[in-house]
Amino acid sequence: MRLLVLLWSLGPLLWQLRTSLLRPEALVAPLLEGNPWTLANYQLVLSGDPPFWRYLGNSTLVALATTLLTLLLAVPCAYGLQQQRGLLRWGVGLGLVGAAMFPTVLLFLALLEIARRFGLANDLLALSLPYAGLSLPLAVLLLRAAFADLPVELEDAARLEGLDLGQRLRHVLLPLLGPALASTGILVFLASWNEYAIALTWISRNDLLTLPIAIARIGGGSVFTIPYGAFAAATVLGSLPLLLLVLVAQRPIVSGLTRGAVKG
Amino acid sequence: MKARAASLLLMAPALLLLAAVFVYPLLRYGWLSFQASSVLTGLEPVPNGGANWGRLLDDARFWTDAFQTLRFAVCSVALELAGGLGLALLLHRPLRGRGTLRALTLLPWALPTTVMALGWRWILNDPHGPLNAAIRSLGGSSYGFLSTPATTWFFVVLADVWKTLPFVALLLLAGLQTIPEDLEEALRLEGAGRLQILRRLTLPLLVPYLTLALLFRLAQALGVFDLIQVLSGGGPAGSTESLALYAYLNAMRFLDFGYAATVMLATFLLLLVLLGGGWLLWRRERAA
Amino acid sequence: MNTAIGAGLELRQLCREVGGRRLLDRLDLAVAPGECLALLGPSGCGKSTTLRLVAGLDPASAGQVLLDGQDLGALSPGERQVAMVFQSYALYPHLSVEGNLELGLKVRGVAGAERQRRLGAVLEMLQLEELRQRRPAQLSGGQRQRVALARALLRQPRIMLLDEPMSNLDAQLREELRPELRRLLCGREQPVIYVTHDQQEAVGMADRIALLDAGRLQQVGSPRELYADPANRFVACFLGRPAINLLAIAPGRQLGLRPEHLHLAEDGPLAARLLRREWWGHQQLLWLDSRWGPLRVLCDPEVTLPTEPRLGWQRQHELWFDPLSGARLHGQGPVW
Repeated sequence: MRLLVLLWSLGPLLWQLRTSLLRPEALVAPLLEGNPWTLANYQLVLSGDPPFWRYLGNSTLVALATTLLTLLLAVPCAYGLQQQRGLLRWGVGLGLVGAAMFPTVLLFLALLEIARRFGLANDLLALSLPYAGLSLPLAVLLLRAAFADLPVELEDAARLEGLDLGQRLRHVLLPLLGPALASTGILVFLASWNEYAIALTWISRNDLLTLPIAIARIGGGSVFTIPYGAFAAATVLGSLPLLLLVLVAQRPIVSGLTRGAVKG
Repeated sequence: MKARAASLLLMAPALLLLAAVFVYPLLRYGWLSFQASSVLTGLEPVPNGGANWGRLLDDARFWTDAFQTLRFAVCSVALELAGGLGLALLLHRPLRGRGTLRALTLLPWALPTTVMALGWRWILNDPHGPLNAAIRSLGGSSYGFLSTPATTWFFVVLADVWKTLPFVALLLLAGLQTIPEDLEEALRLEGAGRLQILRRLTLPLLVPYLTLALLFRLAQALGVFDLIQVLSGGGPAGSTESLALYAYLNAMRFLDFGYAATVMLATFLLLLVLLGGGWLLWRRERAA
Repeated sequence: MNTAIGAGLELRQLCREVGGRRLLDRLDLAVAPGECLALLGPSGCGKSTTLRLVAGLDPASAGQVLLDGQDLGALSPGERQVAMVFQSYALYPHLSVEGNLELGLKVRGVAGAERQRRLGAVLEMLQLEELRQRRPAQLSGGQRQRVALARALLRQPRIMLLDEPMSNLDAQLREELRPELRRLLCGREQPVIYVTHDQQEAVGMADRIALLDAGRLQQVGSPRELYADPANRFVACFLGRPAINLLAIAPGRQLGLRPEHLHLAEDGPLAARLLRREWWGHQQLLWLDSRWGPLRVLCDPEVTLPTEPRLGWQRQHELWFDPLSGARLHGQGPVW
């Protein structure tokens, strides 16, 4: 049963790995004589113009900037929302749930207009602005749930000792929120690493493409001309960081989704 | 009251960005949908009354796409919920290496959609993909999986299920973990079997999580874009085109921004009606 | 306890309303410097609400909190120089004992050497030296309470507040700790408010008791006053174990007689029937039935009971109440 599950979820990926290591002739002729294995595909991808690691770097930069910006905005917002009562709390909460579910592709046109008007297109750091906006609903909901889980008395005790809001956040609340910050951060990182529609329309310069767009471009030719070996090598290289991230951060991801689910 | 106002101030930056990203586009679409703004007008908005909306009502492609999107969403979400529940039940049992297993099953969800969509295209390639190689080695002949509507649709659904099933499983797993073990033990002491426990205890307690997964996934699936754009390009002959893809094409290929905005807003409204209506119905069922 | 006017803590017409519900209704109360006042009452009576209003953690809907004549209303919790021991102790779980104690001092800008001196003194006083590196999760309930107390004492508060500090400890430990807690807290210059729902604890800890019910002050006075001269039926019922007997003597009059004030008397005015007896070692509790209702009587464990016992009491022990309002009726009852 376990094997079956693994085969289902990993099979297509392993096939990519195999493809990436084959000589081009071996792809079309399965029974080729001699050693079909080669690293040539990786060399090709890494020596391209721009080299492939450039896309990895672009995606990492955008994802990191987005994660940072999202947490910076979401922490105070979640704290403030947790202090609210009544209609405002209810309304903002509902709006956040709605926004978290919203299919973001529908927003790309208006965001593209904004990018053009303010000259934000082809700017990786500017791309983290809409990304942070798209990630905020989920991040605020997750962090609010985490704030709600902290005993009120802890903050009361700190207030009585004379700690102001900044000090309470720094010395008491944020250290206790560590796990929630980590899981929220990872989810935001994943989402912005993988985003497609907005990156597709905001970024046109070849050396600034993020990984999903770069890979889609490789495959953008006709079905018959796609260099599948090189493409497979690209997907493997592009998947490795995420594989590592998921393996290392399995626990925070699961717990992050748990919190979101309970309070959603 | 002072504290209440201060906390509003804390929320302000995030709320402003949210408004810019979510509220402004909808308002802008509302305005754009009453403008002609295309190559014909030199890409400048010119008011054209309700012409866009009138066109939408008569646009067979829009309504076909709406139907196709809905069909895609219902099928793949149904499969995801069923498969996700099974996977969650499996992952919930104490197994050796459960953490690693969870991480590995989660992997398809963590990868960019475009990456795996292209991966599927290679697997389905005619004649060199592994699927066709397998068919040939069994004595059959190659088949163009992505050149007939039925098989293309099937693999689009399959690819979506493959990618998002782990996410649904994880949500449901979270739900399973909130069920206290002694409830199950109490029911077992009364002589219930595994299937009965699942039906009488596990599923009812999982309803909030199932609902959440259903709503969330349905909304996402109704906005499906990148998977279809990369895997099938909406083809063959538009048979897998989704509303979001149609809107995208209107804007970026036909450069008809007024109509693209109309399509997007209409998609959003359809979504709102479907999900909102479903939600209200569900609430009333529960209350009754 | 006579002090200069305005010294100590004074609550004036203090109210707290949340969502149209009155949690605290026009509370007037004064606590002298060095006095320990117990706020006693069932759960939800407004005791903790009162503490939070004094601490400034919640805003009052109306009324004033005065300390030595100064209105605290405009001050934040941190500015009020109040210390509070929480029911859950509210120790910061990510900090060691030392870290928990030091955080407030650091934030208030107490210099390193002075900080160490004060920390050392309080650690020694509460015998916490060996635990200074431990995390709260590694401490027993009693140890946690001591850390919470240490943190409160380090605050050098002008008012000391304790919110059911014993309720997370087992019964035996509670009894042992009471004298120590009294020694540490009371008799200093600051007023102390001690919230509890346990009358034994209130009697053991406090100079005076303020009894609350449903957000209203029922009576305030020494434990002896509340016991002997209760303001109303609620007070009479809440203090004293086993609880007072209420006898429906006549329409419009209800007689309260404490179990310890009833005795067996051959010519007593009340005939009763024995239902059950509980033997407590030093005493026994009799459960009886009479024409005025069920009765509990405490008596000597060795006493032999007649088949049809009759009960008597002294007139001075009679407490009369209005059966509807529960108000105390003064003056003599009927002659038997």
